[in-house]
Amino acid sequence: MNIDTNINSRPCADGCGTLPPCAPLAVPYVPFQQEGSQKYNQNEALAHGTLFPGLNLPFHLKVDAPNLPKTLAMELQALQFVITELGLYLDTHKNDTEAFQLFQQYAKLAKEGRKRYEAMYGPLTQMQAAQETAYTWLDDPWPWEYKGGGNK
Amino acid sequence: MFVYEKKLQYPVKIKNCNPKLANVIISQYGGPDGELGASLRYLSQRYAMPYPELKGLLTDIGTEELGHLEMIGAIVHQLTRNLSDDQVKTAGFDAYFVDHTTGIYPTAASGWPYSAASMAVKGDVIADLTEDMAAEQKARVTYDNILRLSDDPDVNDVIRFLREREVVHFQRFGEAVALAKERVDQKNVYYVNPAFDK
Repeated sequence: MNIDTNINSRPCADGCGTLPPCAPLAVPYVPFQQEGSQKYNQNEALAHGTLFPGLNLPFHLKVDAPNLPKTLAMELQALQFVITELGLYLDTHKNDTEAFQLFQQYAKLAKEGRKRYEAMYGPLTQMQAAQETAYTWLDDPWPWEYKGGGNK
Repeated sequence: MFVYEKKLQYPVKIKNCNPKLANVIISQYGGPDGELGASLRYLSQRYAMPYPELKGLLTDIGTEELGHLEMIGAIVHQLTRNLSDDQVKTAGFDAYFVDHTTGIYPTAASGWPYSAASMAVKGDVIADLTEDMAAEQKARVTYDNILRLSDDPDVNDVIRFLREREVVHFQRFGEAVALAKERVDQKNVYYVNPAFDK
């Protein structure tokens, strides 16, 4: 987990956010997530389903800790997940320059991860399929298929 | 426009088939609080949104939900692979099987086919965002209930991921309400509907 250096500059604890001191009645209020919130690394983020420990609020029923395989696919899924998560965060925090820089860094890593993945498993998009020597777009497996396990 | 990426957002690798569980999980494909309704709700509501943050957020969450729809389809597909003749007769699954064999059809677990009546597009900023917050809560509870009903660790791992996404989306929609309120009359946020009144 990357603990941000400016953690002490934030007014509230990590799992809390800010509310206005005075506010009109009869509308919903959700505390605003503070800038500089703690963040997981990309693999932990994918495993937890969020980049932010402060938003990680699991159900009481125990679920086995995720055992994500260390594959090129997982590596890319983790990097792209952080981009999705930071993208949503930036949609409501567009002036958080630190988060934007992190977003840019992850985008760069994901671009490289994508190249490694496609070299091994084939194109992720039809546009990329045009770069191959033959039309490999149709090659199995498709994302919903899994050959492991199974009865009969 | 949309461009397809040939991968899932989170890995789905279900080792054992389980038609009874598939019959429950299909609700998050085409049920009242499922991922199809979620993506349609957000991607449809965005047209009326007057502010860039709200157009962006509804587009981005709506797009992520399409990825979740694909993951739920993958779970149901893998839970119903290579069924034996006896497994096809599993109580609860037999009714689905007679209509759809092992195809993936958008329906609630109750058998009610996907209905747009389970979502709303009101064309009002606060009304739509409040609906979205409620929608995320209802989807979160559906995933809680799936965790109560399922004892398959391969399934639960994915369900736990999807459930946590509902929590994060709720937070973002809550922040979106706050951003919308900043733009309107602070003394009376209902004085006009900024999605309609110019």
